[in-house]
Amino acid sequence: MDLYDALAETNLSPAEQEKRGELMARKPYVASKLANIEAMEERGEISPIIRLEKSYLCNFQCTHCSAEYYMDRHLEKVLQTKENRKQMTLDEVRLLSKEADELGLARFVITGGEPLVMRDFEEVVQAIDPDRHYVITDTNGWFLDDEKARWLKDIGVEKVQLSLDSWIEEEHDNFRNKKGSHKRVMRAIKSAVDNDLNLILSTVLVSGRTKAKEFEEMCKFCTDQGFGLYVSYAKPTGSCTDHPEFVITKEDADLLREMEKKYNVFTHMTPSYGSNKGCITVKGIITITSTMEITPCPYIDMSLGNLRETSMKEILARGMRNPWLGPHRPDCLIGEDPQFIDLHTKVTANYTHLPVPWGEGFSDENTLQD
Amino acid sequence: MSENLFNEYGRLVPESLTNAVYEQSRRYFLCDAPSTDLDDIYSRTCNILGPADDLTADDFRGRIEKILSSLESDPATKGITAGVHIPLLIPRMDIDDLGSALEEHYLPAVERAFLQRLPEAEFSNETNGLAGKLSVRDGSRHGQLLEKLAKQSVVGVYFPAMTEYSVPAAVEQIQRMPENCLLTGGIDLCAALIAAPDALIRKDGYPPTFWLTAIQGESENICYHFEAYGYNLKLYRRAHLGQTSEYWWQGITVLG
Repeated sequence: MDLYDALAETNLSPAEQEKRGELMARKPYVASKLANIEAMEERGEISPIIRLEKSYLCNFQCTHCSAEYYMDRHLEKVLQTKENRKQMTLDEVRLLSKEADELGLARFVITGGEPLVMRDFEEVVQAIDPDRHYVITDTNGWFLDDEKARWLKDIGVEKVQLSLDSWIEEEHDNFRNKKGSHKRVMRAIKSAVDNDLNLILSTVLVSGRTKAKEFEEMCKFCTDQGFGLYVSYAKPTGSCTDHPEFVITKEDADLLREMEKKYNVFTHMTPSYGSNKGCITVKGIITITSTMEITPCPYIDMSLGNLRETSMKEILARGMRNPWLGPHRPDCLIGEDPQFIDLHTKVTANYTHLPVPWGEGFSDENTLQD
Repeated sequence: MSENLFNEYGRLVPESLTNAVYEQSRRYFLCDAPSTDLDDIYSRTCNILGPADDLTADDFRGRIEKILSSLESDPATKGITAGVHIPLLIPRMDIDDLGSALEEHYLPAVERAFLQRLPEAEFSNETNGLAGKLSVRDGSRHGQLLEKLAKQSVVGVYFPAMTEYSVPAAVEQIQRMPENCLLTGGIDLCAALIAAPDALIRKDGYPPTFWLTAIQGESENICYHFEAYGYNLKLYRRAHLGQTSEYWWQGITVLG
């Protein structure tokens, strides 16, 4: 059976099959790795998306930012300290790309901060190697015009994840603390589509928003336009630590699952391509911070290990045997589980420089009674 | 066997198991105790699965009461009734192929019962097909149920008492239980979900998954479980790989 036949037997939608088929023609190695993920999972191997936080530089200061506590501006202005740890180099990105490839991992998301303000963005994409990995970039959309979208496609970026936090212009701009940002997102959507970049919008769900008219309008817009809306629950970490009222309820989660029936909307717990992982910590996503620490999700500031000291294979195994992260749970660990949220808040409060090192937050001694 | 094997919540306390299990539970994933109105269960099951010609409603009630009183009279098993339990009835049936029987008869019945209880919700089978793929897991004792079912209608009680056990730990544990305690399979779990269609639906917290522990797919590592997705109910296939999760509940079916 060749890859095209294998593709036809997967649970992909016709539109997704067409995209994968097109990717096979251009990047057969990447496409074959993506097609192999289901078989890997069956063998108990995992293939998380790697979120790469090489730089935290950002032109925004959003109310709900999960990375704010990693940023120089926070360390210097709020904590009166400095980032004195060794930062990720391009050589380390190259090594990381190779190590991930050897484990069968196939997807990198360049995130931050705002990736499109990184001076070495193109070098980072080349260090990841777009012929070896499927490369995605997050962006707030501010700089994503036609020229930038064309450039992204040319250098090997396949997909853009664009943040939009309210369908109402004023609300989005207020949430993002940046006037004009909603208009820039609308421009970025058009530029991404016009330049054949795959696109998903991402939005933060705060408590009660599932019942808001603007949220349903955003869901409808994405569905009508043919791209997905990735909904990320607000988590009480980073800038959002001061907004526990943002944390969603079970009703919000259930209502969103109902909306998945009607709209092209999904969360990180939504089963996809026949795989039902629930919360995707470790199994479906990891974050690599600028100091080479691996955390199990973008919002959990506790490390599973540092790649300068421990292999990725062992770090992923630590995550999979940790009872909090484990093989399967239906809810968002850091967004919904009050006991873990409390533990995380208490542990991280003792540190100026995040994430909390392996052994001091997560460890092999963790129990659910912690 | 005399000491109480169960804790105050009806959880079978794991003891010296070699396979993966959480020794303690923080009781984060919970199942609300379903209604156990025996007349209601008898009539719904007969309406949906077909009549139990060899068993009246009074017979059913008497046999369930006997199962429960027998468990309660034994100090070792007395504690099991403190936990979630669902009386069930399976009208007599010849089973040639477990997967086909589930797909063609029992899962559609679960769907009917579920939609009668929650008309706005959905039920779906997400397994990519079961026919010809299922077998009885070694050590599960589930064969006893299938043998009995071929001869007569089966009465039992489902106890999801092995909370946070891996599949192999459940197999290991069941060997230490009385002979009439079987690992729960597909048909008996379907019957339990016909008896209590909304057992896995919770609005104020997350429910666990109920596993068809006694059934395996193409290999020992493949098992199946029912799982709520919001207000909806789904059946999933999973490579469990001997792992455990606090979200995974294995079950015991006691026949009477």
